[in-house]
Amino acid sequence: MKKTIIKIYFCFIIISVITSIILLILNFLTFALTFSDERKVYNATPQKMLEETVNAYENGRKPDIPDGTWTILISTYGNVIWSENMPEDIPSSYSINDVAKMAKWFLNDYPVYLRTEEYGLFVLGYPKNAVGKYDMEYSMAWFDSLPQRIVIVFAVNVIIAAILACMLSTGIYKNIKTVMLGISSLRNETPLNLKEKGFLRVVVKNMNKTSQKIQYKNDVIKRRDNARANWIAGVSHDIRTPLSVISGCAEELMTNEKLTADEYGKLELITAQTMKIKKLVGDLNLISSLEYDMQPLKMTDIKVCFLLRHVASDIINSSVNADIELILNDENAVVRGDEHLIERAVFNIINNSVVHNESCKVTITERIIKSDNLVEIEIRDNGTGVEKEVIDNIGIIPKTAHGLGLPVAYRIITAHGGNFIAENDNGFCVTIILSCK
Amino acid sequence: MSVVIVMKEIFNKKILIVDDETELLKLLKNCLLREGFYHIYTASTCAEASIIQHENNIALFVLDVNLPDGSGFDLYRDFKAVTDSPAIFLTARGEDSDRVYGLGLGADDYIVKPFLMKEFALRVLAVLKRTYKINGETVCIQLSDRKIDLDNAVVNTPTGETALTAKEVMLLRKLNENKNRIVTNDALCLAVWGDDYYGYENTLMVHIRRLREKTEANPSKPRHIITAKGLGYKLVIENEKNDY
Repeated sequence: MKKTIIKIYFCFIIISVITSIILLILNFLTFALTFSDERKVYNATPQKMLEETVNAYENGRKPDIPDGTWTILISTYGNVIWSENMPEDIPSSYSINDVAKMAKWFLNDYPVYLRTEEYGLFVLGYPKNAVGKYDMEYSMAWFDSLPQRIVIVFAVNVIIAAILACMLSTGIYKNIKTVMLGISSLRNETPLNLKEKGFLRVVVKNMNKTSQKIQYKNDVIKRRDNARANWIAGVSHDIRTPLSVISGCAEELMTNEKLTADEYGKLELITAQTMKIKKLVGDLNLISSLEYDMQPLKMTDIKVCFLLRHVASDIINSSVNADIELILNDENAVVRGDEHLIERAVFNIINNSVVHNESCKVTITERIIKSDNLVEIEIRDNGTGVEKEVIDNIGIIPKTAHGLGLPVAYRIITAHGGNFIAENDNGFCVTIILSCK
Repeated sequence: MSVVIVMKEIFNKKILIVDDETELLKLLKNCLLREGFYHIYTASTCAEASIIQHENNIALFVLDVNLPDGSGFDLYRDFKAVTDSPAIFLTARGEDSDRVYGLGLGADDYIVKPFLMKEFALRVLAVLKRTYKINGETVCIQLSDRKIDLDNAVVNTPTGETALTAKEVMLLRKLNENKNRIVTNDALCLAVWGDDYYGYENTLMVHIRRLREKTEANPSKPRHIITAKGLGYKLVIENEKNDY
């Protein structure tokens, strides 16, 4: 998240610098293009007006110059020999010093423009305070170093713009950081209570409200899930004691030597069915706990071959007919998981094959997929296979009396982030794939 | 000391069963009486159980966890403060966390309801035998015409005595604890070499071969120490079953 904020921050600074430079260039061009606005005082430039004055004088007519302006012609001897609208405070004779003073500047505070002809000097005067004049002079060395100066000015501008952007965008950085933090919290669905200030306060306010809604919905879902799981746990708890009494009574009755074989068989059936209900209740409880994430996984390092040998031995020890072959290719395979649960998943799959098929051979093959760092456990039997409906719905609690062995195994493996592939292939085959440590 | 005397002493031990389900209490009491125990006490509440414990020298507690006036876990904690007698939790709470908690308190066994009465009786017997093992009782294994004395590490054969090494005794003990059941190579190595057993599989094979030479009439065709291919070994003792 911090990287993203820094990226946004840098993008903002770069955009600010580029904007400043573009503005600088535009301003320079605009200023340069409007360097002189002398045309804006009157419609014609002073040069045009002087030209008109010369023409009028030579043709003996009155010059067409705007009101407020005036013009005079000074002879080579310094006397005014012709004038038009000449103000009273304008002298009628001029020394060479007077001419030098007014050249490019003012005459008695009147801005003046000059034009020389063979027969004299034309002076065009503007009203007082109509025009400002500034003299600008540069050495040739200045002009020679102009390219370097432009580069330096440009670079200094970039640096100043960057520093200013950094300083001024601290507030923006804080605001963006707050928003990013909010987005991160929303994604993780953790409670959010950000201070609603700054220019993004509307966004932050909406995020706070969204967070409150998510929390409310999560609470409702959690309460509902807890209620369901607790109900299942409660039922399974309450059912166990009566089951103990039922099986206990049946076992006690079985001690009666006068029982017929049929009666004895029925009592045995009661006991066996009681144990079956016990297993179902246990599986249902586990599956609901896994469903609602209420079963905390006690993660440890599990030696896969150790676990497979242990489970296979247990099944062979409890079932004389079990024919199990182990092909363990990678003795060092270790996965991280809840050992008890993984053991239960593997037990359920192998036990299913042994219990539901007569004289069935179960082959367990273990290997490491080195390219993906995975452990693959294939449990294959040569029995009659499993109904397609069971395989298709392996991820849900079955509505029919199929037992919970496979769905429990599926939930356990998927809760560990593993893959569980079940298929009929000349018997039933389950492939479990888990991340190798 | 003969096995008969030892067993008589065990059956004389006082057992207290605490459960709020009176029907179940009756069944449990009858089951243990049938098995040969004489002194069975029952209680439905923690208060009743405390009184009985106070007045009698109870040798084994069988405790339910959810009791009307308290928890079986707390009750066991109180008992533990005054007696070293073992306990078995007999409860409807089947979650792993409860099981781990109960055993973590120091209980010797944890049985989840429902259960088979026969299994319950066997577990009670096993805990009592384990806890009250009488001094002088020796563990002997009879394999065909050979008798193995594990405490003295010797095999008595028709032709004389053969000594067992410490590792061989450890292996035989582990196999005997699980007689007639497969014990995995891992479990055997763990029992003999501890946690750092990895890589000892070949050494285990050598030890088993030597053990067969000492305990089997025909080591190349063993009748008692049987190989379970790819899994481990099984100590086969005819006409005997494991406690569980």
